Amino acid sequence: MIEVVKAGLETGVQDFPGRYGFWEQGFPPSGPFDMWSFRLANLLVGNADDAAGLEIQFLGPTLRFESETLIALTGATMAPTLDGVPMPQWESVAVPAGAVLETGFASTGARTYLAVAGGIDTAPVLGSRSTFHMAGVGGMEGHALKDGQRLPLGDRAGAGRPGRRVRADCRPPIPAGKEWRIEVVAGPNDDWIDEAGQHMFLESAWTLQARSNRTGYRLSGPEWTFAARATDKGPEHGEHPSNILDHGYPVGAVNLCGQTPIILVNDGPSAGGFINPFTVPSAAFWKLAQSKPNDVYRFDLVSVADAQAERQRIDALCAEASLEDAG
Amino acid sequence: MIFDEPRFLPGGDTFVLVQFGDDARIDLNFMALGLTAALREDRTKGVIDTNPSYNSVVVEYDPDLIGADDLERELRRLIEGLGPVEDLELESRLAYLPVMYRDPWTKACVEDYAERIAPREGDPEFVARINGLEDAAQLARVHSGTEHWVVAVCSTPGLPLMVALDPRCAITSPKYNPPRTWTTLGAIGVGGLSTSIYTTPGPGGYNLIGRTPVPLWDTQARLPAYRDRVVLLDAADRVKFVPVEREEFDYIESRVADGTYTFNVTGYQRFSVRAYKAWAASLDASERF
Repeated sequence: MIEVVKAGLETGVQDFPGRYGFWEQGFPPSGPFDMWSFRLANLLVGNADDAAGLEIQFLGPTLRFESETLIALTGATMAPTLDGVPMPQWESVAVPAGAVLETGFASTGARTYLAVAGGIDTAPVLGSRSTFHMAGVGGMEGHALKDGQRLPLGDRAGAGRPGRRVRADCRPPIPAGKEWRIEVVAGPNDDWIDEAGQHMFLESAWTLQARSNRTGYRLSGPEWTFAARATDKGPEHGEHPSNILDHGYPVGAVNLCGQTPIILVNDGPSAGGFINPFTVPSAAFWKLAQSKPNDVYRFDLVSVADAQAERQRIDALCAEASLEDAG
Repeated sequence: MIFDEPRFLPGGDTFVLVQFGDDARIDLNFMALGLTAALREDRTKGVIDTNPSYNSVVVEYDPDLIGADDLERELRRLIEGLGPVEDLELESRLAYLPVMYRDPWTKACVEDYAERIAPREGDPEFVARINGLEDAAQLARVHSGTEHWVVAVCSTPGLPLMVALDPRCAITSPKYNPPRTWTTLGAIGVGGLSTSIYTTPGPGGYNLIGRTPVPLWDTQARLPAYRDRVVLLDAADRVKFVPVEREEFDYIESRVADGTYTFNVTGYQRFSVRAYKAWAASLDASERF
């Protein structure tokens, strides 16, 4: 068991890849936002891919391990200490029974991932332990951790050992500054935006608003302009040019609500009545996960094939060959 | 319009939106649900999830298992196999759902919005007025006088997006602008051409005309109906609203609370598009109940 001494800002149980097979019943995939960092954490402690861990957002928790185990922290830098002694990230670390892990504010990046040998063993809901807190599904009693809870752990089956580290060139390159370049694929509704509007989106700097979370990432930037079909349309599509008859939303859709683009992410709605002129591909999600309010995005248009190639490249890095013995 | 050829629009590296047309005619939803059913039966390699709506289906795929071009070819094969829309027959259960029209809870929600965000009249009165109905009582009569077709279950867990199957009961209304910040759980909302039921207490834009005391999803299996399923309704099911007064509402709510409520859902029918269209064409759509 792990005792949650302090829960942190919003710390939740997630597993890879999340909750699938229930999308047409209104359940989003959930799962770890930065799946690259998450998978590396499981590798470090010798867990299977689908073992659940913790997603630690912005301000980390204080946790007490009731029995001896092996842990790893990846993702955002959070100045972790184990019984008061600074602990390395991106490295598997042996934890004695009774040890206390403290984490601070995320400095570089926004989300840190904790893997524990054996995985977090909360009850799966619809085939996944991932937390979908809006509906109170999965995770620890459906929501983020609370002070005083105790997290069950699975049996330690893997051959993980302390002192393993992720090679520097195999980690997501989280920038120290505020500037990001994010890939986007055109569509499905790029034809509702005129050429000037598409150009504007790709050439402008977009600021991430504070009102952003695992449901959606709200962006501030210039005004959009629309193609004729956005204004010359049947009444069933709604009044505003950004309105369309309800349709399904891809995860990653740049969903245009009036003039505000909202990137729909892991816990986002599966459908609605706004257009999606662009979509952020899966391989760029780690960047969204690791950025903070007031960070600045610029978007790079890529093809479906390029986006799939980048996904494959990252998948290949989430493998044993990316680990080395810590010096 | 119905497109001569379905369109395949990319949504990033793992989604494709299949569009059958660009408006709300119900044939397009029949096609979307026909394709969804065909994908389920076909178990097409690499297809992970589907998400149908009014005139389209979003298909999620694993690009390690199937390329975008191969997926499009498979989807075209399945769509061709559906044949003309009139030939479609879809599995369709009929669920009877109790509803208290003009209930005090959604009234309070609308009043809260009117006080804090923007003034407005009561939603049932507003919807009745702009649809040329006598009053909110006639709205309840019209709204409960038809089966509602479940176009999709989407947005939040178990939330049905529905349209009236009886053309004499069609109502339309503009959505809230700006939207509500919270909504009564179980509220029956109408917006655009659709009826919906709020399954989480989140924000919303539909006009609230009533409330149901029964939950539309449950991952804890507290009620017998949820022992072998998570949400009550699937796309292509139908809903008939059964008007109840406060006493009956409270009784049903207590049965839900103690875990003994029994849903009335029939499961012996298939929905024939040809038979439905013949029946709908025989009606005088200007008539009202």
